[in-house]
Amino acid sequence: MSDPVHAVVGLFETPRALLEAIARLRPRGLGRLEAYTPYPVHGIDQALGLRRSPLPGMVLVMGIVGTVTAFAFQYWISAVDYPLITGGKPATSWQAFVPIMFEVMVLFATFTAGLGMLLLLNRLPELDHPLLGSSSMSAITRDRLALAVESEGDGLDVAAAQRALTEAGAVAVEVVARPPGPYTVSIAAAAVAALVAGVAVVAAGLGTWVAVKAFPALPPMVHMLEQPRLSAQGGSGFFEDGRAARLPVPGTVARGRLPHPFTRQEEASVLGNPLARTGPVLALGRRVYGERCLVCHGSLGDGKALLSAAYGAKPANLHTAAARALPDGQIYHVIVAGKNSMPPYVRELSQDERWAAVHYVRALQRAQNAEARDF
Amino acid sequence: MATTTTSLPPELVPEPLSTGPVTAGSLDDQVLAFPDRPPPLKWFVALAFTLGCFAVGALLIVYTICTGIGVWGNNRPVFWGFDIINFVFWIGIGHAGTLISAILFLFRARWRNAIARFAEAMTIFAVMCAGIFPLIHVGRPWLAFWLFPYPNQRGIWPNFRSPLMWDVFAVNTYFSVSLMFWYLGLVPDLASLRDRTRPGFRKVIYAILSLGWRGSATHWLHFEKAYLLLAGLATGLVLSVHSVVSFDFAVSLVPGWHMTIFPPYFVTGAIFAGFAMVVIVLVVVRESMDLGNLITLRHLDLMNKVILGTSCLMGYSYLMEAFTAWYSMNPFLHHTFRQYVAGTYWWAGWICIGCNILAPQLFWVPKWRRSYPVMLFVALAVTVGMWFERFVIIVISLSQDYLPSSWHVYWPTPVDFGILLGSFGLFFSLVLLFARVLPIIATTEVKAALQGAQPGHEGVAS
Repeated sequence: MSDPVHAVVGLFETPRALLEAIARLRPRGLGRLEAYTPYPVHGIDQALGLRRSPLPGMVLVMGIVGTVTAFAFQYWISAVDYPLITGGKPATSWQAFVPIMFEVMVLFATFTAGLGMLLLLNRLPELDHPLLGSSSMSAITRDRLALAVESEGDGLDVAAAQRALTEAGAVAVEVVARPPGPYTVSIAAAAVAALVAGVAVVAAGLGTWVAVKAFPALPPMVHMLEQPRLSAQGGSGFFEDGRAARLPVPGTVARGRLPHPFTRQEEASVLGNPLARTGPVLALGRRVYGERCLVCHGSLGDGKALLSAAYGAKPANLHTAAARALPDGQIYHVIVAGKNSMPPYVRELSQDERWAAVHYVRALQRAQNAEARDF
Repeated sequence: MATTTTSLPPELVPEPLSTGPVTAGSLDDQVLAFPDRPPPLKWFVALAFTLGCFAVGALLIVYTICTGIGVWGNNRPVFWGFDIINFVFWIGIGHAGTLISAILFLFRARWRNAIARFAEAMTIFAVMCAGIFPLIHVGRPWLAFWLFPYPNQRGIWPNFRSPLMWDVFAVNTYFSVSLMFWYLGLVPDLASLRDRTRPGFRKVIYAILSLGWRGSATHWLHFEKAYLLLAGLATGLVLSVHSVVSFDFAVSLVPGWHMTIFPPYFVTGAIFAGFAMVVIVLVVVRESMDLGNLITLRHLDLMNKVILGTSCLMGYSYLMEAFTAWYSMNPFLHHTFRQYVAGTYWWAGWICIGCNILAPQLFWVPKWRRSYPVMLFVALAVTVGMWFERFVIIVISLSQDYLPSSWHVYWPTPVDFGILLGSFGLFFSLVLLFARVLPIIATTEVKAALQGAQPGHEGVAS
């Protein structure tokens, strides 16, 4: 025999015969004894001197880990990261977390028991174990009980083991070699698994490529965007002119947008600033100036602008004597109607915003041309 | 030993769990031979029929998703219609399998061995059917992953104080655990199948699925411990799952839902409905697959006793619900309970009582517990009755709640019925496929309990 021997297997017909054979062979020390049965046989673990399964301890630990994980996860989410008051309960009320703690405990414990047994303790899957290729295997998974004297690495006294098993009442004795004969199943299984995996990888890659090429800019999750509404500059079959955007009804006045009756700047002198010079008004004026005026007139109002060089315009210096002498109403008129290359801001700014900007311009003028009494 | 059995008075000797000579070898030849033989014509006919039903349901689900759930009968205030009725119904069907495989295992009720595998498979298939309904109920099922707590760019988390969130965890855990439990039990049987199948494609599949199981004493030592632990965990789980499902109702304030009896009442109802479904399937399997010697009339008798017992518990629950309603002095609750038996849907309430409480009382007669016509009648009645129980709870309570101006009479549409039919088609298709390709009886468990299978028990039948 060229292959090294893995085990000598004896088949028995009844559990009692198997137990008696174990009792007879165990003191002989021929090799490692292992029994193979089609179903769990009571008392066989004691007879073989197997240690108790460590599984319950593993399951207990992982069950506790699952419970703690679920609690910590829910507590962190519901009380720390995203506190949500439901039913008037405090964000830290833990009682509502109990059902999920239980479920996660079961989940962790179950998978520890199942996979721990299969993968860790029984070291499965093991598709190339020498015994799987033996002729005894199909008898074992059917109705025979087997006792195997297995090699412990330093050779096995095959003849002695065969004799001992026969003497103990084995109805058949088989010598199982290692490596196993042509155990085609595991090779074929590996081939099939490799084929399936290869096809899956190629299909996934092709699918991704096609998806990326065919739908390059597929917008994800646009359910709130796609609504049956009119877009500001879009068309509409509802109105006669075919436009979605509508002009105000003729003759109506929008709030804060009283019509400006003057066409010439001088005429507007009669207008006085209706707003009081208060903190909030100046704050509003500062904001409006910052948003609308600053890019050209400069942050100080001196016409040294951010844009002027590229823009080509010459923004007015608001600190000239002429500018300082302008009545409030004329400054207001320039904001409404524009001047030279300055566009009108009648649409962008409400009445109050314009008058607040006027106040702010006055404040800038006074700040840049301060007198002794201002200090 | 043998003398113990014979010295008992005959009426005390337990009826054997199998008839005729059954040995470990003959068991394999009978049970594990199905995948070897081509299925009979009637199997193909049945499968074509069930797949046809499934196709109807699948097409209607596609129609629903493309059009919107307005194609169902749901409308305010009845936002939960067939979708949630069917979900609760199917989850309940699944519970019988876990009860048989886990709870009866802990009670060492050996008669479970022959039927546990089938019942566990039915659990998994029923939970698969159940899972469809919440998925399509959300309206945009491609976003159903929003149910899971994962860090997202929206910066929001689900509400863990909502029973609907508990439900997500309970149902997913239940499916995973049932699958694990089922597969664990299958591994040794798959090894038997692997070793008796001729080399070829099927042998490869069985070899991979059985993971190289050898049945060594070490394997069995850890296996038995794992199985015991799983049974204990699954027992707690099965009680929790339908309790959590009942929280979807009981934690709300809808009259007729807000009741403390709901968790035990739902669990009982689930086991009750599930056993009826198992009886229906087992009768068909027993007759069509010639398994009369392994699934005996004693098994069916015991199953029917469980149905009778749970039916009485259901009767108690109904009475207790009615008592609670009356004792609450709450006019809204009084109104809802009057609606159950004398309102728009009075017939649904009476179908419930007739099918769930009255019909199973036939099982008090021992002879009828062993009669196919009677047990099929009762099991079908219970299946219908338990479906209607969920209809009563959901539709009647919702259709007339606190605000009379929003009362609305709910009627399902043909689409609702089609999807329900489709779920039955899926369930029975999977049952039919399972029956042909996997070991339908847990052969290792039956072998372990056969006469003379254990040392020191020779001559003692279980």
